[in-house]
Amino acid sequence: MSIIELESIYTAYEGGSEPVIRDLSLRVERGEYVVIGGPNSAGKTTLLESINGLVRITHGRATVCGLDVRRFGPEVRKRTGYVIQNFSFDPFTPFTAEQVVMMGRFGRLGLLSRPRKSDYDAVRRAISLLGIEDLSHKTIGTLSGGQQQKVMIAHNIAKEPEVMMLDEPFSNLDFTAREFLQRVFKEMVQQGVPILMVAHAFDGLPDIPIHLVVMNRGRITSDLSCQAGEIEEIIRKECGVEGRCLSG
Amino acid sequence: MLEWLIDNNVVCHALEAMIFASVACSILGVIISRMSLSSIGFTMSHAAFAGAAIGMFLGANAQVAAIAFSMGVAALIGPVSEKAKMAADATLGVLFSMSMAVAIFLISYMEYMGGGLSASSLLFGDVISLYREEIYSLAAVCCLSILFVLAFYKEISAIMFNMKIAEAAGIRVRLVYYILLFIVALSVALSLNIVGGLLIFVLLSAPASIASQFCFNVKSMFILAPLVALVVSTFGVWAAFEYTLPVAPLVALLLTGVFGLSVVLSFKRRINTEMS
Repeated sequence: MSIIELESIYTAYEGGSEPVIRDLSLRVERGEYVVIGGPNSAGKTTLLESINGLVRITHGRATVCGLDVRRFGPEVRKRTGYVIQNFSFDPFTPFTAEQVVMMGRFGRLGLLSRPRKSDYDAVRRAISLLGIEDLSHKTIGTLSGGQQQKVMIAHNIAKEPEVMMLDEPFSNLDFTAREFLQRVFKEMVQQGVPILMVAHAFDGLPDIPIHLVVMNRGRITSDLSCQAGEIEEIIRKECGVEGRCLSG
Repeated sequence: MLEWLIDNNVVCHALEAMIFASVACSILGVIISRMSLSSIGFTMSHAAFAGAAIGMFLGANAQVAAIAFSMGVAALIGPVSEKAKMAADATLGVLFSMSMAVAIFLISYMEYMGGGLSASSLLFGDVISLYREEIYSLAAVCCLSILFVLAFYKEISAIMFNMKIAEAAGIRVRLVYYILLFIVALSVALSLNIVGGLLIFVLLSAPASIASQFCFNVKSMFILAPLVALVVSTFGVWAAFEYTLPVAPLVALLLTGVFGLSVVLSFKRRINTEMS
């Protein structure tokens, strides 16, 4: 059984007249590195949020980690990581980076229970993996965009997810940080955790087979396996437009 | 409860009521202000105000009606925001206007019909003529607010950080949000007799805003906000009885004064300005 199975799903925002995603089917196996590309408004972010149940699936069947997303949304979200796009925190946000990383564990802990030693250990491991030990006691609003991005990735790694989804995770990062994170994601993939990444830049992807999903107008137009170096060319052909402006 | 300390029963009841109301409201205010949902405060206070007016109009118990109406509004806020796909603040704005319109309509109508209704206690509070049961109810809701924060501390802090990130982490955001709405509704409705519908918003917003000027973490905000509310309320009640001044407006003025002072003295604001 695939870790993610979507069969003819339709999703729509509450009150929206048309579905954002229509008749979409997708299978993702453990240890796959999935890159989702396509033009603006293709439904890439909505696809990620349908997989973890943040956006309601109106029709079709969706199973993630063996759970029906329509019935067990919060349970699916406890077991999947999701780094959202375009967040920003004001300088007065009264939480340190370490506290934010710990919040990634809260869903798993459930109501009325306190973090235990294993939770603190997972947080320490995630902070150390991302190399942000020196930031852990700083309030998150005082960090740079790239540092906040790393904290949010650590927040999701601390969760020890069975699936990791990232929405344009490199938008605030320089090349060195991108390369470093790509190594982290490659390690996760090698441990069997599938990565689903919406991206607009494809440089620095690991040298492993990529499961490429190209989307346009709420549908998947290509679902194939390729190498990192081929992605841009495939998307360009698929959408008939030049350059990276395709995605976003 | 404080009879062993204060001989005068009226002063004693006023002080107890003011302490319980201000502590409960200030604790809830920390959550509301951080979630940028300050409008919950004034919507609930006016819903309680409208409920009390409906109660009086129907010849029922005003406080029970205030609780029922504000609970009803609390139950509407979440679903209406979701169904109408509107920001919670927009829904609150509509419910606030509706509550105010209902209250003013009924009070005006009863005055016109010669009902002899005085709305001043609903608007400005009447801390002098409180029943013991009302103080016990306030003590209970104060304990409920503290228990709510202690029991759901990790969920509340994650929601205060960012609602969407909390939801993506698998936290039951909706459940905690609805419990928060109901406790706010209850606290506000029970505090209506003490500070009145127009001033209760100060108790919800000022102590939290004062605490946010100095605190770098949420835990200290949950300690400092009720502490400020407690000290200012106690001083306000003492000063009001000592110099024969209206209690609730005096406490409201003192809290806004302390807020102004805290903005001037805030070292946190200075640090952040220097950093940026």
